[in-house]
Amino acid sequence: MAKIDDLKEEARKLLREGKVKYIIGYGAGSNGWLAAPLFIKKPEDVDKLVWDPTCVHNLVRFLVDEKRRKARQKQPDRRPVGIMVKGCDSRAIVVLLQEKFIERSDVYILGVSCEKAGVVDDAKLAKKLAGKKAKTIEVDDRNLFVITTDGGKIEVPAEELLAEKCLECRANFPVIYDVLSGEKTKRPLEKPFGSVDKIESLPVEERWNFWKEQLDKCIRCYACRSACPMCYCDECVVDSIHLAVSVDTTADEKARRIKWIQRSAVPSENIVYHLVRAIHLGGRCIDCGECERACPLDIPLRFLNKKLEKEAKELFDYEVGFDPDLPSLISSFRDDDPQDFIR
Amino acid sequence: MAEEFEPRIVAFLCKWCSSAGSDLAGVSRMEYPPNVVPIQVMCSGSVSPLYIFSAFNKGADGVLVSGCHPGDCHYIKGNYYARRRLNLVKKLLEYIGLEPQRFQMSWVSAAEGTKYTQIIKDFVKELKPLGPQTKLRRNP
Repeated sequence: MAKIDDLKEEARKLLREGKVKYIIGYGAGSNGWLAAPLFIKKPEDVDKLVWDPTCVHNLVRFLVDEKRRKARQKQPDRRPVGIMVKGCDSRAIVVLLQEKFIERSDVYILGVSCEKAGVVDDAKLAKKLAGKKAKTIEVDDRNLFVITTDGGKIEVPAEELLAEKCLECRANFPVIYDVLSGEKTKRPLEKPFGSVDKIESLPVEERWNFWKEQLDKCIRCYACRSACPMCYCDECVVDSIHLAVSVDTTADEKARRIKWIQRSAVPSENIVYHLVRAIHLGGRCIDCGECERACPLDIPLRFLNKKLEKEAKELFDYEVGFDPDLPSLISSFRDDDPQDFIR
Repeated sequence: MAEEFEPRIVAFLCKWCSSAGSDLAGVSRMEYPPNVVPIQVMCSGSVSPLYIFSAFNKGADGVLVSGCHPGDCHYIKGNYYARRRLNLVKKLLEYIGLEPQRFQMSWVSAAEGTKYTQIIKDFVKELKPLGPQTKLRRNP
């Protein structure tokens, strides 16, 4: 992992000169090892920034909230917001720029490269720790994860602790940035879509059973939607709010309104909800893995999004989140798009 | 003896080509299976993936989306968008474990009444052995 001293220096300068409104970064968490999002407004607080493999969050979601906040204010502060991004998070910014949701001048991007490491997977970590409590997790020069616990240090090879998304990451350095800490090193990839291939190789019925079992667990808490930097629709298809309910609205009228997807957490509705979410993220998902991490029931939502990422690459030769000037996947077409499935 | 399973197909037909094509099949008195529920849409490009999921959710055994041939779209490029988007939908439905035969797309022009009847005949023939679609169907 990169050292972020230069980044801290830059952040301090930005805050001192008042060039940014505030900086979103990672700070020490209140729950032991895991880092937590940190909002910095004063230059003296910059030293609280941390950068280690526990910085799992995608902070780009806060830019969506920031835009909403700005829209509500009469005289918003138009200075940019500083944000610390990993490789995957920076691609989220690229997609937001591509969709013109934010302007380039709205953000000051402090990029950090994951270099040869990435972020940890908490389930894998819990298994390794076997009940012990981790204090800090660091990466050393030999690319080993060093976990400090009460009972001493544990060294683990990176592959055994890295999150699945990191093992399938194609660019573990920011693709867009104003300052960059660390080097742009690419990790050699054996199978960029390994997890998808595994499910695809199953016969239809087994595939169905797998997804049915997984999506049956969904309790429709919408944590995936809340954590996703791309889920910024003002109105989600699963909870329509635009239909005004007045005192005159009869129960009969309410009942007859179109409900594309019902709210009850039954398998058929859950599946349609997750299919719609997957399609909405087709060609937009940058595989930050936040939906899966936020899911309280550990539904492998990444596999759905990764599938569409794979199809975008194979069918349309489209790679998500690398070029902000490119039109998005489904708002563009080519004359020679495949149509062998059409009669 | 149990009755033979009759699949129910929801067909989204574009107003300018496929819908006119199905009309032609009708006025020419061509015979084709009565399993289709045609829904006229303004363009195949206006068919949201949600319509398709929703049709399956409300009990369709098969969904057909039909539009103008590439280059013939009344809105110049609507069917190109549809082709790209619905390709992803098809892949996703297969990935989740729905039988690939249940979702089909076709190009039918206003003059292709025979092609339309043939597509419906084939579709019904393919759906019959699969039985009712229960995977995405909402329980009443």
